Parts: sequence; C-alpha cells; structure tokens
Amino acid sequence: MELIGQFSIYLGFFLSVWALISFLIGIRKQDQRLIDSGKGAVLSIFILASVSTTLLLFLLGTSDFRFEYVASYTSTDLPMVYKLVALWAGNAGSLLLWTFFLAMYGAMVAFSKKMKKNPMTPYIVSIMLLNTIFFYFILSFVSNPFDTFPAGEVPAEGRGLNPMLQDPGMILHPITLYLGYVGLVVPFAFAIASLIMKSMDAFWVQMARRWTIIAWAFLTMGNVIGGWWAYTELGWGGYWAWDPVENASFMPWLTVTAYLHSVMIQERKNMLKVWNLSLIIISYLLTLFGTFLVRSGILTSVHSFAQGNIGQYFLMFFSFMVLLSLYILMSRYHLLRKDSGQFDSYLSKESSFLLNNIILLGGTFAVFWGTIFPIVSEAIAGTRVTVGVPFFNTVMSPILLALIFLMAICPLIAWQRASVKNIRDNFLIPALISLAVLGVIAAMGVRDAYPLISFTVIAFALLTHIVEFIRGTKARQKVTKENVAVAFGCLMYRSRRRYGGYVVHLGVILIAFGIVGSNFDAEQLVTLQEGDTLEIENYVLTYESLDQRRDGLNDIVYATIAVEKNGEDVGYVTPERVFYANWEEPSTNVAVRSTLVEDLYVVLSGWEEDNRATFQINVNPLVSWIWIGSAVLVLGSLFAILGGRYGQSVPRYAGPQRKVH
Amino acid sequence: MSKNTKIILSASSIIIAIIAMLLVATPASSGSEMKIANINETADTLKGRHLTTEGLLIQDSVSWDADAIELTFDIVYEGHELSVFYNGVRPDNFTDDVYIIVRGYLNEQGVLEAEAVQTRCPSTYEGEDADDHDPDAIWDEEDSND
Repeated sequence: MELIGQFSIYLGFFLSVWALISFLIGIRKQDQRLIDSGKGAVLSIFILASVSTTLLLFLLGTSDFRFEYVASYTSTDLPMVYKLVALWAGNAGSLLLWTFFLAMYGAMVAFSKKMKKNPMTPYIVSIMLLNTIFFYFILSFVSNPFDTFPAGEVPAEGRGLNPMLQDPGMILHPITLYLGYVGLVVPFAFAIASLIMKSMDAFWVQMARRWTIIAWAFLTMGNVIGGWWAYTELGWGGYWAWDPVENASFMPWLTVTAYLHSVMIQERKNMLKVWNLSLIIISYLLTLFGTFLVRSGILTSVHSFAQGNIGQYFLMFFSFMVLLSLYILMSRYHLLRKDSGQFDSYLSKESSFLLNNIILLGGTFAVFWGTIFPIVSEAIAGTRVTVGVPFFNTVMSPILLALIFLMAICPLIAWQRASVKNIRDNFLIPALISLAVLGVIAAMGVRDAYPLISFTVIAFALLTHIVEFIRGTKARQKVTKENVAVAFGCLMYRSRRRYGGYVVHLGVILIAFGIVGSNFDAEQLVTLQEGDTLEIENYVLTYESLDQRRDGLNDIVYATIAVEKNGEDVGYVTPERVFYANWEEPSTNVAVRSTLVEDLYVVLSGWEEDNRATFQINVNPLVSWIWIGSAVLVLGSLFAILGGRYGQSVPRYAGPQRKVH
Repeated sequence: MSKNTKIILSASSIIIAIIAMLLVATPASSGSEMKIANINETADTLKGRHLTTEGLLIQDSVSWDADAIELTFDIVYEGHELSVFYNGVRPDNFTDDVYIIVRGYLNEQGVLEAEAVQTRCPSTYEGEDADDHDPDAIWDEEDSND
C-alpha cells in the first residue's frame, strides 16, 4: 500500500513535468507526436491522481494507522462517512484532493470533443500543468499523505476527527469550494493561452464561458454551505463573520461575477478585452492568494490551518504566477488595444455593466484591504492593526446595495442607448410599487435608514425582474399565440443564458432579503430551572426537562423545550450536547425551528447538578431566504449553461493556425 | 476626449468614493492584534483599545457562573498567560490546547473583557497524541464515577 501510494505521487509529479516539457517542445517544433505524448501523460496523471485518492480513501476507511495521515484524522470508532471525509480534513489530504481535481479538469480539457483539432489545447493544458506540477511538488516533498510511521512506532489507535468536523457541512463544503477554486484554473488557462497565441478575438471567452460559470456556481455553493455550517456551529461567528479565510473565497467570487457581466460587452461590442483578461487573471490569482492565507496561518483566523512552511511555497508559486501573467498580458497589450469598440451613450446596458464591474472590483478591493490590513500595518508601523466586522459592514453595505440597485436596472435598460420612454415604460410601475413597500415597512415601525433603503431597493430589483419575465412572455404570446405557461416555458428554454442569468439575479435578491432581515435578530442568554418559561419576541419557551440518551458510542444530553408562538403550541425543540466517545469536550447540536418568517435558534450551553440549564436563544428573521436564494442562484447558473441547440453552439476557432492541436 | 474615456473617467469616480469610504472606515473600526506577551507588557497603554489575541486554552482555569452567565478562563501563548472574562456561553471545541481567538477590551485588572470568543476550525493541530488515545477511556471513567 505504502509503495503504491508513494509511487502514484512521485510518478504523478514526474509525468506532470514530462507532459509540460513535451507540450512545450511539441509546440515549438510543431511536432504532433510530442503533443500526443503530452496528452497521454495528462490522462495518465488523472488516472494516477484517481489511484492516489482512492487509495487514501481506502486507507482511511480501513483505519490503516501505519499511515500518519490516517492516524491523525481518524479512529476505529469513527462513522465510515467521516473516516472518508477525513480525506480533506488535513493539509496533505486536502492537497491531494486539490491535485485530483486539477488532474480531472486537465484531462477534461485535453480530451474535450469541443477542443478537438483546436490549436489552443496544448497551450491551455500547459498552463494548467504548471499548477499540477506545483501541487505534485508539494505532495511529493512537503506534505505527503502517504508518509508512514517508522517500524515499531505505529499507534494502536488514531486521534479521531474533531467533533466540529463531524457534520454534514464537512461532506459538502470543502469539496464544492475546491471544485470552484480549482475550476478557475480553466478560464485562466484559456485566457493566458489566447494571449500567448496572440489570438485576440473573443473565442477564448466563449469557450471558457461554461467552465467559468461551473466554477462560479461551485464557488457559490462552497461559500453558502460554509455559511450554513458556521450558522449551526457554535463559535464560528454565524453564517458570515468576515473572517480572512471567508474573505479569501468571497474575493474571487466577486471578481468572477464582474467578469461574467463585462464579458458580455466584449462578445457584443468587442470592448474591454484587457479588462476581461485582467479580471479572469485576478480571479485565479485570488484563489492562489486565498490558499496561501489558509495554509500559511499568516492571519489570525478561525479557519486557518496549522502554521508551517507550506505557506512559503504557495507564496513563491503565487509570485511566479503574478509575474508570468503580468509579463504575458503586458507583452500583448498593444494588440489588445486594437479594434476596440466604443460606448454609444452614457445611459445604456454597456455603461451599467461597466458601473457594475467597477463597484464589484471596488468591493473586492475593500475586502482585500480589510483582510490584509494587519499585515500592511505591521510592515509599515510595526503593530498589527485589525479592522473588524464593523469595518466590513460599513464599507460593504453601501457597495452591495448599489450592486442590487444596478441589478434592478441592468436587465431592462437598452443596449446602445436607452431612451426616456424606455426608462419610463420599464421602471415607472416597479418604482411606484417599491415606494409603496417603503411606506408599508415604515408603517410597521422600521425607522433605521439602512433597512428601509435596503428593503425598498430589494423590492425594486424583484419587481423589475418580474416585469422582464412578464414582458418577455407577453411578447412571445403575441407572436406564437401560445398560452401563458407554454410561452413562459419556451421563452425561458430558448433564451437559457439570458433568463438563467435573471434567475441568478432573483437568487441574489432573495439572499439580500435574508441578510437584511437577519440583522433584526433578538438574543437572550438565560439559565433556567425545569418548568421555567421565557419570552422572546412572539415566542414563549418552557424548559420542561433535561434528559440523556445513547446514540451508538455517543452519549447525548438534551433539553426538551415546549414552544408557543403567538399563544399557540407549535411543538418542541430539543437542543443537544453530544459526548463523543473519543473526545473530551461535548459538542453542540443547535436546535433550529426554521420557517420562512424566522428561525428560532436554541443552544444548550451547559447544565448544573440541579438540572438548571443555560440556553442561548435567538430569533433570527428571514434567514431561510439566504438558503433558498442560494439554491435559486445555483439552479439559475446551471440553467444558463444547460446544453441543447439554442444559443449554445461552439464557436469556430479563428486565431493563428498551428500544425499541432 | 473620446466618449469611452469620458465614461470610464466618470465611472472611476465610484472608485474614488470607495477609497474615500475605506479611508474613513479604517480608523473608525480598527483595533490591535497583539501577542499576549505584548498585551501584558503594555497593559497600561491599552485602555479603550479594541484588542484581538489568541492563545491555547488552559482547561483548569475555566470557571463558569451559570446564574450570571459569566465565563472566565486563561489562555497561554509562548509562555505568557492572559485572563479572559466573557459574558456568554462557551463555544464548541472549548478544550485544552485548542487555540482560542478573543476580541475585546482590557479592564483595570488586566483581564480581557471579551466581546467574542471563537475556537479555531480544527484541522492539523487538534487531537490528543495517537498513542494516548483509548476510545473506551471515557466510558471506563464514567462507569467508575457511577
């Protein structure tokens, strides 16, 4: 086993180097045999990475404690699912998973039907191989998941997996985030390859579109599932805490969002070429930067991995890729400036997209600034100055609000030049209804400016999108005489890209609704006797009893709390503390009674000998909409890339021709 | 000046607005991140300053007053200790040798009155030594207590 594991890693490293060399020489000499050899190596790397990953899963599943990684993250009494997810619980295993995804994406691009006979392929795969080589280097020489204990020092039992990680979030969050992170290598490789080949048309943009949306959708899922996990995990600061590591995955999400909008201007008007290339390069570099933050432990973060020298390697690779990207971009700058289109009007879809891009990039910079400020301040003044949650809330609230406002306008504003009539027809009714919403919210007693403005803007965005759906359906009905349902369905299906995008917008609107609403939370910390009641918002809770039960090897202590809402019984909640067989401290299972209006969130923190128990009780309004909106967002992005005949044709490559492909 | 340049320049005013917002918000919401040793050395000068620090929890120091909902504990980093007072519940993973991140203000007694107490997401640093682990130990202990 040890030999197979080590061999698969070292051979993977060797073949990655070989593939890159054969591609580079093959490109230079225009030798198809070398290119084919490189492609064969890319496939072999994927097979080897699959072998390594499967083997480590097998070792984890069978509790083979000869291997340091297995002993560090599992124990014999751990449920099988958590033995397996321990694959990404630590540095070496998660790096192997990263390498596996890289190898998978590399093989998918190299052997994609759509890339067949395309001279860009060897260039694209070469760029991706740079990453593969780096990760294999780390696995081979810095953090090898197949390292074993010396003979005679093999432990009888493993350390187990921390209870905080024994959560469904652990199954989904890292894997989706990695698929998003690693996925951004693909559009980056397309962009750099087009620059190297001096292919200045929008071909790479169209070819990379699906890859970008897939990576973006996974990045979204990763962030949201992470937020959902943190929401139920006591001590991680709720669904979003502006932690450096959370910020690290939010920044590329912002820049890719900007890219997905501005790229439409390039496709339509052949503008913003440098901007789009820069955005995709920045997005990729931000993933490396984020990985550096997570792995180096340079910032104080709830989510940091242990400190070690691995961060240095990431910093070196990050610096190398920054310089390489900059050099290639600058060397082609003169070509990119040619044949660029013009804005026709200050008031047009193009201008609103540009504004959206600037705000998104400004938001990225604000998050970046807040994240790295401790390092900058230490370098300049010698002391680490932190900017906390208030900073991010102060800066990001108006930025995100402005984005939602733009999101409300963009779909309905005309390309080229919007007329006053166009604006009046599209926005008058949504604006009037939004003002009515403002009046209703004010009448409900909300007086703070931010929520009033936020809910109004959110309503406006929702309404403009509904108007767009209605107008599209009506226009189709006029031509086809179909009934409303058929016309709506056909409209959506035939323009999946456009309406998928609008569904994504609806998801963002719902998320914003949930975030603004959740700020009206109420919290109580109390210690109660059995039989005591407490009131919070429109709830009355009665602490009835404290009991214990056994679940497998674990002991669970739970409180039974009867819940009344507005005077009516609505059942019980049972917050728990779980005592794991192999862990000193119990872990909390938060009881969440979730409705579309609010979450009743109850934590059993501790208890005394006389059964008095301490509870943290929150009423968090509208939080469900964050998860609902996220699901809508992901479904919208998948709908936008759904295959089929309409609008999904593969463009023909029209750049410089090469003999090899 | 072309229309492109004009539009890009006017859009850039947004960037200026964002930078201005950053400059205003940074000092208004900043604090210091310090090692425990530095906090102890310069305690007199830190009054009213928002502090962030981290250290390993000293399990034996944990004290809990259920009626007042007050948690007190000590953390240690590089041999230097700091006492923390927190009016809230203990987070998960609140156990010996786990990194605790605390944010708050230093009081007259040199105790950090925490606004937030967070435990690091467990990864490579958690866990007891594999050699010492005995999955039956907790049950044996409980049985003996019974």
